[in-house]
Amino acid sequence: MVREGYQPPTAGAGPRGSTHTGHEVRTQMTYICGDCGSRVSLAKDAAVACNQCMGRVLYKERTKRMVQFEAR
Amino acid sequence: MAPSKKASWTNAPDAEELEKRNTVGIHKETVTHNTSVDFPGHVPGEDEAFSLDRFRDGFSVDFHQNDPFHASFSLMGIDASLSNAFRRILISEIPTLAVENVFIEINTSVVQDEVLAHRLGLIPFKGGKEGLHNFLKWHKKPEPGEDAYKNSYDWNTVSLELNVKCTLNEDADPREDDPRKAYHNAHVYARDIVFTPTGAQEQYFAGDDAIAPVHPDILIAKMRPGQQIGLTMHMHKGIGADHAKFSPVATASYRLMPIIKITRPILGADAEKFQKCFPDGVIALDKVSAKEAAQKGSGYESHVGETKAVVADPMRDTVSRECLRHPEFEGKVKLGRRRDHFIFSIESSGQWDSDELFMESVKHMKLKCKKLEQQVMDMVR
Ligand SMILES: [Zn+2]
Repeated sequence: MVREGYQPPTAGAGPRGSTHTGHEVRTQMTYICGDCGSRVSLAKDAAVACNQCMGRVLYKERTKRMVQFEAR
Repeated sequence: MAPSKKASWTNAPDAEELEKRNTVGIHKETVTHNTSVDFPGHVPGEDEAFSLDRFRDGFSVDFHQNDPFHASFSLMGIDASLSNAFRRILISEIPTLAVENVFIEINTSVVQDEVLAHRLGLIPFKGGKEGLHNFLKWHKKPEPGEDAYKNSYDWNTVSLELNVKCTLNEDADPREDDPRKAYHNAHVYARDIVFTPTGAQEQYFAGDDAIAPVHPDILIAKMRPGQQIGLTMHMHKGIGADHAKFSPVATASYRLMPIIKITRPILGADAEKFQKCFPDGVIALDKVSAKEAAQKGSGYESHVGETKAVVADPMRDTVSRECLRHPEFEGKVKLGRRRDHFIFSIESSGQWDSDELFMESVKHMKLKCKKLEQQVMDMVR
């Protein structure tokens, strides 16, 4: 099954699957505001708050990858 | 020397004896004589070995109802082992097509991916019979780690899509509180599923034969503006033994024909009370005729014109045994069930016609017997 799941980090992992080694890649992340629902882009060191309503609860976006399930 | 008188059991059983053997006794708190006794060696001097000719003579079928989604019929003169085999085959061994894999691109509705996939799997689908039964074959599941689409061809995989997005309905009254009017696609129904034919499926599932949900109004999910579902589904053939979604029947069951025997007259107010002990139509009320009253020892003497209870339609009885609870009916009624009279009820989930299903179960049974026969022959060899 190609279900998305947690992959334990392996010692000396290459560029694949690791987000912490390369600081340059993806410094910007998009979140969803828990208060107003707008999309919030946060820069690397920005304060964790919505720039529309200052709401402090931000949700992670759903994966853009396809997820496979068995209909059982 | 004069020939000695033969014992009574050496005579062939009379009709009364045969009926007694064929009746399951239903009493106040017990059920008796529930196993069949028509097998070799049970009664001394009687053969009773299974023979095809005897089965053919004693067997009959009677249809009560035959609708696409519900068939009801009686099988008479058949053993429980056989009719139970048919019932079990109906539930778990006749193949149908159902959603097996769901590839979710996006699902921002409140229904979790797993739950959504499970709900989609349970929706019954219909389609062209020729394509479903003959063109479509079994699909082999890819090994773990292999590509999910491996082994998927037009002859074993049917592809469906569901793409719906909920948006605000600008034309609706701002005070509208019915979400179905205030928003577009607030409810996702089975009819929103789109069949995408591939290869030879375009011939087998064209026009009215297209793969479509049996019931278009099945609610899959509810959404609010901004939420969205986008997915593709792969349908495969399977059997009920693997997962209930593949079972072609909503239910397939049988019950034995009830017997109600009024052994002594039930008259007047008692008759009306007796009638109320049974479902509607089981017991009818009649008048005691002059002829019956003239008969000595019938129990009807000097009751001409009084109401009496008569059995009208025992098939409608649920055998609740209510009549056995009342002292006024004690010794006047006997309840039972006919051991070789099976009242089948088959409710199709929609992919097959319900009467077609029973014939298919007979076909499966035959195939099983042929396989067993071959194995027995190999064993002897
Ligand atoms: Zn906000």
